[in-house]
Amino acid sequence: MNILIVDDEAPARDRLRQIIGDTGEHTVIGEAGNGRQALLMAEKLRPDVVLLDIRMPGIDGIETARHFNTFENPPAVVFTTAYDEYAIRAFDANAIGYILKPVRRERLEMALRQAARLSREKLGTVSTQPGLPQQRAHVCARRHGELNLIAITDIHCFVADQKYVTVIHDDGEDLIDDSLKSLEAEFSAQFVRIHRGALVAVNRIEALAKNGDGQLAIRLRDDDSRRSLPLIVSRRHVADVRRRLKGN
Amino acid sequence: MAAARDTTNQQSQAYLPDFCAAGAVLIIVLVATLVAIALTLAARPEAGDFLGELGQMAMYVVWMALLGTALLCRLRTWIERFGKTQAFVIAFGLLLLLCLGVAEGTWQLNRTLREVAIIHDTHAGFLTRTIAISSIVIALAMRYLYISSEWRRSIVLEAQSRISALQALIRPHFLFNSLNTIASLARSDPARAEEAVEDLADLMRANLGNPKNRVTLKEELEVAAIYQRIEKLRLGDRLRVRWNVNELPMRALIPSLTIQPLLENAIYHGIELLADGGEVVVTGSRIDDDLQIEIRNPVAAVTNRRKDGNQMALSNIRQRFELAYGNRAAVEVDESADQYSVRLRFPRDEQLA
Repeated sequence: MNILIVDDEAPARDRLRQIIGDTGEHTVIGEAGNGRQALLMAEKLRPDVVLLDIRMPGIDGIETARHFNTFENPPAVVFTTAYDEYAIRAFDANAIGYILKPVRRERLEMALRQAARLSREKLGTVSTQPGLPQQRAHVCARRHGELNLIAITDIHCFVADQKYVTVIHDDGEDLIDDSLKSLEAEFSAQFVRIHRGALVAVNRIEALAKNGDGQLAIRLRDDDSRRSLPLIVSRRHVADVRRRLKGN
Repeated sequence: MAAARDTTNQQSQAYLPDFCAAGAVLIIVLVATLVAIALTLAARPEAGDFLGELGQMAMYVVWMALLGTALLCRLRTWIERFGKTQAFVIAFGLLLLLCLGVAEGTWQLNRTLREVAIIHDTHAGFLTRTIAISSIVIALAMRYLYISSEWRRSIVLEAQSRISALQALIRPHFLFNSLNTIASLARSDPARAEEAVEDLADLMRANLGNPKNRVTLKEELEVAAIYQRIEKLRLGDRLRVRWNVNELPMRALIPSLTIQPLLENAIYHGIELLADGGEVVVTGSRIDDDLQIEIRNPVAAVTNRRKDGNQMALSNIRQRFELAYGNRAAVEVDESADQYSVRLRFPRDEQLA
């Protein structure tokens, strides 16, 4: 199997490479030092298995694993962790592999065998495990087939149209695979639904104003009006939007 | 944040005893009777009349004592809200006022009842003597209560610090990561692996020492430096530590295992979560007769910070400082969007040669 090693500590990566070398059965096709790099490399190199450290700066292991789910053929994930009681508790209950540092060769081999058997559907459980952080700090978009991670704090709004959801953010617009409903559930703390097809970042809202047609429209802060469609608050959501604005 | 935690800590320990409890009332009645006996003996009553005099005296004193007990029983919670020293002063004042009231009442009652009790004194003299004697007795009682509450508190503190010393032992996260690093170096760089094992052993030994002891700053800084070396192997260039400690007298004493756990916190909650790492700055300075050590580290943006930051090391150091220095030391935390710092301020005590 082709393996991608992800860990922010060089000695930890060395150690995994050494042991995988010992087994003689598998190949290390790449090493990444953080979650972002891991996602970009995995997209390009298409590893079968990713050995993923949990505690990393930036996008941590758990969020990285969740972004793998958006891949067409997601790699199997084996978490590596030194001592992360809470994370271990979350995994004990399900089939996702994890190995403890210092890593033992037998344990790694076992985890790799397990990963090879792991069905794709099981990978999806990463996102729904109770006890894991429910919120990602980024969403994952593809622009011309290239992976692009957008920080939640950079996002102005999500707009759904037919099949896709468009993210409008500081650096432009992107299409993402997530549904508006799941986005609303995940980011309800920062975003408010304004009509059937749009979620708006509450802290980006500058004002609510009536337009010529008597509809209530939202004006966003730092909006260079690159967006042609106006953000109209539907009647059903007016009370909710006002309440959220007051709360912030 | 720090101040808030300290007050709750104090509130959880009552320093005045429970005056509503039957045991306390019994003891107070007993002491009041003894005082009455002493006073009657001192007054040298005419022969044969001792019991009669004692009866009057005891009635007077025990009444005062019981009313005082009832007063403190009702007002204890309110009084304790003012803080320890103030509480004792307030209780003292209230009791004196009460005694004055009882004395005045007794005088008036005695006059209305056409002097059933023989008081060989003028009105003012009677009040003055009552106040003088009761202030001495109350002061003694308060002093006793104060000392016994201090003693109880120090027992609690010591027990707490012993427990937290056990908890302070090196974080498992650090231990396992270090062992993993050593396993890795064992092949690629055996010499460094050897050094790392030696460093780890020294660090463990320091951790196993009696955490109640104070060590010299020199020793404590050495432990922290060893710790830094081990972490450096793991984190590489991401970890930088600047030591501005030349101003500190190296022979001064500090409770052991204070700087190292704070450095560990700075790395675990700060540096490790920054992709490019950062610099921990340790600054030592002298302020009057005190020493101050500040450990400052950058932190990642809030979105990226985990909530698992346990305050164990910090609350543990607080407790040990309180035990060692009482209120002569302070542990302060400063937190901003991208910086976190802990300041230790403590009296400069030097090791005796």
